[in-house]
Amino acid sequence: MRATGSRRYRQILWLLTTRDLKVRYSTSALGYLWSILDPLVMAAIYWFVFTQVFQRDVGEEPYIVFLLSALLPWMWFNGAVGDSTRAFLKEAKLVRSTKIPRTIWVNRLVLSKGIEFLFSIPVVAVFAIFGGASVTPGLALLPVAILLQAILTAGVGLIVAPLVVFFRDLERAVKLALRFLFYASPIIYSTHNLPAGLHTWAAFNPLSGVFSLYRSAFFASELDWYLVGVGAAMSVLLFGIGLAVFRRTERAVLKEI
Amino acid sequence: MTSPTRSPTAAGAPAGPVIEVKDAGIRFRRNRRGRRTFKDLFSGQSRRLRPNEFWALRDVSFTVRPGEAIGVVGRNGQGKSTLLKLVAEVVLPDEGAVSVRAGVAPLIEITGGFVDDLTVRENVYLTAGLHGMQRREIDERFDEIIEFAEIGDFLDTPYKHLSSGMKVRIAFAVISRLEEPILLVDEVLAVGDRGFREKCYARIQELLDGGRTLFFVSHSERDLRRFCTRGLYLDRGRLALDAPIDEVLARYAADTGA
Repeated sequence: MRATGSRRYRQILWLLTTRDLKVRYSTSALGYLWSILDPLVMAAIYWFVFTQVFQRDVGEEPYIVFLLSALLPWMWFNGAVGDSTRAFLKEAKLVRSTKIPRTIWVNRLVLSKGIEFLFSIPVVAVFAIFGGASVTPGLALLPVAILLQAILTAGVGLIVAPLVVFFRDLERAVKLALRFLFYASPIIYSTHNLPAGLHTWAAFNPLSGVFSLYRSAFFASELDWYLVGVGAAMSVLLFGIGLAVFRRTERAVLKEI
Repeated sequence: MTSPTRSPTAAGAPAGPVIEVKDAGIRFRRNRRGRRTFKDLFSGQSRRLRPNEFWALRDVSFTVRPGEAIGVVGRNGQGKSTLLKLVAEVVLPDEGAVSVRAGVAPLIEITGGFVDDLTVRENVYLTAGLHGMQRREIDERFDEIIEFAEIGDFLDTPYKHLSSGMKVRIAFAVISRLEEPILLVDEVLAVGDRGFREKCYARIQELLDGGRTLFFVSHSERDLRRFCTRGLYLDRGRLALDAPIDEVLARYAADTGA
């Protein structure tokens, strides 16, 4: 019997996700190292700039743990949204010839980048052990953070992926927006460090809430339920918009590619 | 030949049509560079034709019963491949409805799912899996597939190092082993050497004898007569004639000859 419905969806999602990971790791000698090397180098740069060059007055101690606990999830978001600009274009031949639930083309990116993120968590653990950071009860919120980020990332991906097919310029615009978002999100700093007037607005960037949850694993003071609440609402809203955009444009996307 | 686990046209299967196309229409833009607005994009289904668009197919209706072998005939650009894609459900109609009530093995862009950097073995599992085959089923048929493709020595070679002939052979071998009740064929068989083409034809015949439904797009009168009993003649995006294949071919010959 052929699997149907959600079972088939999961099967194919998994198949394509493992394909992505297999391709990535079978074609490079360093494989897994690359996926952690990138955030590590970035973290090292920011750590150097903010603790050795400038006298840092943002974030928490140890700064490297503070940095990585948001930088690694950022790599997930950045990677999945960045790749979603090519979700259809890169797989055009397959989309044209195989009847697969179309949201898989986006969700597989969220999943494969999410798995890479999970694999990179030990890196934070190592730095936490050697940097002397201690775990707080907030660690229990890790699954919530991951779930929330998955919803958010899928939502944004579902909006971006079909629109890029029609407006190719969007591919570059998204890259630019992501770079802006990196600095507009509390990664190298904490929302506490923002001027009071901006704090309210920062919550509308759902990444603020997501990172607040991740960071609460090591820094109890980083947990801000206002950020989390607004962030969760924004994530669900974006996911809803994403699904609606995707449904409405699906027909046209299939013709275009 | 039929798999022990599934026999697609076994007795007890509903006798109703497996493919039902009702007033289907689909339109495309005339030039790709045409300006797009957000409004166009979100307007969804509508019967209105916007400037710069044309109907590739319109008011097409027909039903297919299990086991029928249908040949689609028409000049280039009259909507044959589009019709096939509608039946494969890889494009969606702008009006009307297309319903396909059984699994489809599409021989359209057959090498589309293959990944250059993976080995032949990995690619077989990937492509068969994407078309809904379970791992266990693939295990069972793996040797058969490899034997059919005559590619035994290259199992662990990355796909990109195969010759283009081998690529087509392995792709055909996988898709034609899907054991789906409906087989869609879009002139893919024009590729490959003569020996292999004959082998593909033999395989299609075998599937037909096993009770599969065939949907075949071709320009070759000989192939059409060989496999098909019924013909659909598409002309300017309309279904001009739906009749036994000989009649359809005669009409087509008359139209093009004149």
